[in-house]
Amino acid sequence: MIEGIIVGLSTALTLTNLVFVVIGCLAGTFIGMLPGLGPMSAIALMIPIAASLDPSTGIILMAAVYYGAIFGGSTSSILINAPGVASTVATSFDGYPMARKGMAGKALAIAAYSSFSGGVIAAIFLLVAAPYLASVSLSFQSTDYFALMVLGLTAVAAFAGKGEMLKALLMTVVGLMLSTVGTDQTQGIPRFTLGLIDLIDGISFLLLVMATFALSEALIAILKPTSDASRKEEMEASANLGSMKLSNDEVKEMVPVIGRSSFLGFLIGVLPGAGATIASFLAYGTEQRIAGPVKGKEFGKGSIRGLAAPETANNAAATGSFVPLLTLGIPGSGTTAIMLGALIGYGIQPGPRLYIDQPEVFWSVIVSMWIGNIILLVLNLPLIPYIARVLAIPSRFLLPLILFFSLIGVYFVSFNTFDIQLMVLFGFIAVMLRFLDFPMAPMILGFILGGMMEENLRRALLINNDSWSFLWERPLTFSILVIAALCLFVPVVLPYVQRIRKGAKITGE
Amino acid sequence: MLFSKDRIGGLILLVFCVSYGFLSQQIVLLPFQAKAAFHARTMPEILTVLGIALSLMVIFKPGSGEMPKLGKQNWLVAGLFLALMSLYGLTIRPFGFIFSTSVFLIAGFALLGERSVMKLLLIALPLVVGFWVLMTQGLDVFIEPFPWFMQGD
Repeated sequence: MIEGIIVGLSTALTLTNLVFVVIGCLAGTFIGMLPGLGPMSAIALMIPIAASLDPSTGIILMAAVYYGAIFGGSTSSILINAPGVASTVATSFDGYPMARKGMAGKALAIAAYSSFSGGVIAAIFLLVAAPYLASVSLSFQSTDYFALMVLGLTAVAAFAGKGEMLKALLMTVVGLMLSTVGTDQTQGIPRFTLGLIDLIDGISFLLLVMATFALSEALIAILKPTSDASRKEEMEASANLGSMKLSNDEVKEMVPVIGRSSFLGFLIGVLPGAGATIASFLAYGTEQRIAGPVKGKEFGKGSIRGLAAPETANNAAATGSFVPLLTLGIPGSGTTAIMLGALIGYGIQPGPRLYIDQPEVFWSVIVSMWIGNIILLVLNLPLIPYIARVLAIPSRFLLPLILFFSLIGVYFVSFNTFDIQLMVLFGFIAVMLRFLDFPMAPMILGFILGGMMEENLRRALLINNDSWSFLWERPLTFSILVIAALCLFVPVVLPYVQRIRKGAKITGE
Repeated sequence: MLFSKDRIGGLILLVFCVSYGFLSQQIVLLPFQAKAAFHARTMPEILTVLGIALSLMVIFKPGSGEMPKLGKQNWLVAGLFLALMSLYGLTIRPFGFIFSTSVFLIAGFALLGERSVMKLLLIALPLVVGFWVLMTQGLDVFIEPFPWFMQGD
């Protein structure tokens, strides 16, 4: 492990990589701060730049953008109560009331220290867990990988929330369907190309991500214009931040919260599909319960614990979500799914072999997480008053620019104008579906995993002489599939069981 | 609600899944390929069944009965932006990067309410030229800056 850390340090601490960590953190913070644009859009916008870099630098840049965007999202949550992404919604519960009390600077400092601690502690967990998991997963076969991908996709749907599971599953299937467009990899047969040469190579992953996130976010912002009053409020909030210093008592109050939330966040992040949003809400709820009746009442009114808990947990979960990506090659969240797509674009297949074949990529990602977190703290915190001015840029200039960067980012990769037209079409469909509350992240996950899933299923059948019996005959495959089935059925069955129990209780009384 | 958000979305995706299923049957397989346990149509066929089943479930058992709120949205402006983006795709090659991008940005700023011609030009033009210089000189990504009649061979 020590050897690995040295390899990681020697790769990540080169001047070029350090420059890109700084650029990534700043760009991520800048993009993440814009209401509506989250880490997924931020990473998607960076892919065309990352594609021109070597793999380690590209991944380091994207990891830095990821952290920066989470931090930026927290900033807009605290200053203007506009969480860029779901994972920073819990941050606004106490961060915004603090800002309203004239303690915006303090709230931003708490968010920065908590994010930093959560990220660093979780990176230590990752350092220990990832190599171990990678060595275990070396024994995995195609059948197990197929089952793991089924688990990853169903888990995303299972964590989608009440009433959302079916829609998330349906969107996953739509993503899988889109992944089959283009030439079949093994038999060389064109599928769903509609006779168009431009679709022979399939739909570009970058195009789909840009259209469904960056482009559709901007179009939704155009659909729902902000009022002049709220713009004025945003400008005032970004101009007056107040002091950023924390007292000893405040630090003492934060420390245990950070410890607990880091552990909880990391564990939740490792689970495929759960991610930073659930981690932040769970940490918030847990701390509220632990705080007791007196301190618990402060939650929602500007509590330090209420701000530190979700901020720590969402960053720890973001780090945790790299575990399944780096060790199994299976993304646990929409964001890591985009990273997986980028890695595949480099010709790198994440998974247990990555640890052995390309240790410099594996370790430099882990080490860059620490560096990224340090840079976020050292560089971003003092710069926040200046970066926050981005919130004052009028949306009439910002939105066309976001659209331009999305379009040109895709065009610069293929130099095919058909891609722009396809992007406009997908952007329109994405806006419609988002307007109808259909989630996009499961679709991206399905799209990324689709090709691999089909390939592993094909290989599994080949190894098993065209027999589907591997699904129940290989214990590991079967166990993973059972867990996937439980992920799907427990949330459906549980409310009925609870209702029956409640009914029995009432009858008993 | 009969036309809730879930039901409308489910219906749209049902049409998509049925069309996908129909197209999956158009995939041409050679006789020896068709005999294999797993061929180019297998995955699409499984996905069609799953997709249709799930969209029917969304339609018949929607998670919420919330109705779509169509009012108070800038549909016209969003539609104009879609058209503008499509037009940008059509013009970027013949008219070159600098002209087509400048027009795209100026029209975009104007559509969202900017009326000062000076601001429109002073923001769009330096940004487009600066971006072109950065891409061509900084990142070695060449893109034709001029319209077709000014381009070299």
